[in-house]
Amino acid sequence: MQTALSVLVDSTLITFVFALAAIGLAIIFGLMGVINMGHGAMLTLGAYFTWYTTSAGVPFAVAVLLAACGVGLIGLLLEHFIIRHFYDRQFETLLLTWGFFLVSTEIIKIVFGTDLRTVTNPLPGAAHLGPVVVPAYQGVVALISLGLLVGFALLLFRTTVGIKIRALVQNAEIASLLGLNVGQAYKLVFVTGSAAAGLAGGLISPMLSVDPYIGNVFLVRSFFVVIIGGIGQVLGGTLVGSFLIGGSETLFALVSGQVVAQTIVFALAILVLRFRPTGVLRAE
Amino acid sequence: MSHQIGLTAKVSRRTILRGAAGATTTIACPAIVRAAGETPIKVGLISPLTGAWTVYGKAHSAGFELAVDEINAAGGILGRKVEILIGDSKTEPRIVVEQANRLVREEKVDFLAGTFSSAERNAAGPVVTSAKKVLLYPTFYEGQEQKYYPGVCNADIFMFGPEPTQQVWPHMEYMIKKFGNKFFMIGSDYVWPRVTNEFTKEKLKDLGGSVMGELYIPFNTPQYDSALRQIRDSKANIIFHTLTGSDTVNFRKQFVAAGMNKDFTLWTVDDEEVVTSGLGPDVSAGTYVSFDYFMTIKNPNNGPFLDRFHAKFGNNALMNTVGVAMYNAAHMAAMALTKQGKVSTEALREGLHDLSFAKAPQGHVTMRGRDNQMVLPSYLMRVRPGWTGVNDMFEEVQHLDSVTPVDARCKKLPL
Repeated sequence: MQTALSVLVDSTLITFVFALAAIGLAIIFGLMGVINMGHGAMLTLGAYFTWYTTSAGVPFAVAVLLAACGVGLIGLLLEHFIIRHFYDRQFETLLLTWGFFLVSTEIIKIVFGTDLRTVTNPLPGAAHLGPVVVPAYQGVVALISLGLLVGFALLLFRTTVGIKIRALVQNAEIASLLGLNVGQAYKLVFVTGSAAAGLAGGLISPMLSVDPYIGNVFLVRSFFVVIIGGIGQVLGGTLVGSFLIGGSETLFALVSGQVVAQTIVFALAILVLRFRPTGVLRAE
Repeated sequence: MSHQIGLTAKVSRRTILRGAAGATTTIACPAIVRAAGETPIKVGLISPLTGAWTVYGKAHSAGFELAVDEINAAGGILGRKVEILIGDSKTEPRIVVEQANRLVREEKVDFLAGTFSSAERNAAGPVVTSAKKVLLYPTFYEGQEQKYYPGVCNADIFMFGPEPTQQVWPHMEYMIKKFGNKFFMIGSDYVWPRVTNEFTKEKLKDLGGSVMGELYIPFNTPQYDSALRQIRDSKANIIFHTLTGSDTVNFRKQFVAAGMNKDFTLWTVDDEEVVTSGLGPDVSAGTYVSFDYFMTIKNPNNGPFLDRFHAKFGNNALMNTVGVAMYNAAHMAAMALTKQGKVSTEALREGLHDLSFAKAPQGHVTMRGRDNQMVLPSYLMRVRPGWTGVNDMFEEVQHLDSVTPVDARCKKLPL
């Protein structure tokens, strides 16, 4: 019973970390269809900005917000100068964002060096909830992740901006004929997605080693999360996808080694896509 | 007319560029020619300069470069200067093969030094064998077993780093006596952790201990919740840690965040100065580390060595066991060739057999001729809480001046 409970808590925590890492991609790829291979680089940049500002003495919470703004700004520049010219050509966006990843990774190496960096855990210690141990910081990150998901879902489904974006996703041409400023809406979505990735990178940084490849660990997994969950399903899809890609690994690791567990998870992901190519939550 | 002017301007700019390029070449070339006197001895250095293990790459190449500077300052080898040709392994065995081939075939190097991980060394093995070149290998590794030939058990590959019976065995009794005999093993999923754990288990059995769990983690795993739960439930005393690179940092941060550092003793055989710096004082405090070399060891050779190292690479540069092994490798190769009086693969191989080097930063070391394995000292250190830099990072727990490893498990000895 005790193990069952702690497994449940573990898989929940992992699910939320994966969801956090994937939100930015769920927005940019899921809503706009831009295959953002630069997502990993955005996470990395968020982590580095957080490391840089915290080591300059800025409080962690402020540093993370600054990281989100910084990466959002980079997203704005990227969108304005490059991506917006390619919205109707998905394959080109893949190459362009991959190029962005390569360039920004090299710039990170030049500016910050290749040494391992650490961001001090702002909330050390663990909470003992009965028999289950929850690392305090990871618990808070899970809550923030949930908050972000709910926030974005509310934004999409309860505000006029959300209606506009959904109109855009459904049919950009008709939306523009009805007077929607398509370019501006796309820009807003791209910047929001970038900022979300920056925020995620910042929040993840105290749990991982900050190196130029920190975001890459999450790149492929984030794509799986978004595709498995269902493209365009920001709240439910991201959660279901994160559970299948991240949380379920914990369950499989109970009965097998970690390596086997990871293999099972990705095999499962492929199986799901075979029979539900539009994702678990996506309507046919 | 304006077009004409524009054209002229363009041509002249180009001419200037060409001139500049020419000047650079003329400046750069004589340096090599002048240094040569005769044709230089070429060494191919394969280092992880980019990719996942870049963090280790700096000390790796720096140790070798420092030694080559010293060799050249003292007149070179047999009157010939030594020239380093560097190849970036990108931490990928596939690239190691490319680079080793390039250095051997195109650059025509006299011998090779470097590669970092066991996988990289094993990838270089076939190239070394077919090209009949010697490879000087610096990293702490899993020891030699015939089934990994030609990466090990190879007469042309010399091991300058410690293997488990030098790095782990000498300290097991102390650790067990102090903390208990129940081990939990966690490592990255490749040959070094797996074989190192095999050796450790063998000795642990002799000492009456037991393994409460054994876990191998794929590279680049971000979350360790289930691993931490297994460790927590295992009732082990000591976590024996062979994770590498950024996975070390990821695991350890989450280990400390879960408050488990209070309940378990952690003994790592991977985290030298560079990785421990990356972990930071909060995460690394109180862990045990064992190697043949640390920057803070008190051997009389070490101080002057570090002075020279800092003079060349700056006061903040980090040295470690691998960098020191590269340093020893260059010096011992020079000694071997000088002793033999000629430069060839046979001369280097013969010269290195049973060669001793008294000026090694970790003290007197000897290359055992039988199986090309260095006889080295072994240190057990504890990471000091609240350390501020490499100078107060490790406190010595115990050390042995010279540890003779068990014989390599190769089909025939001597190699």
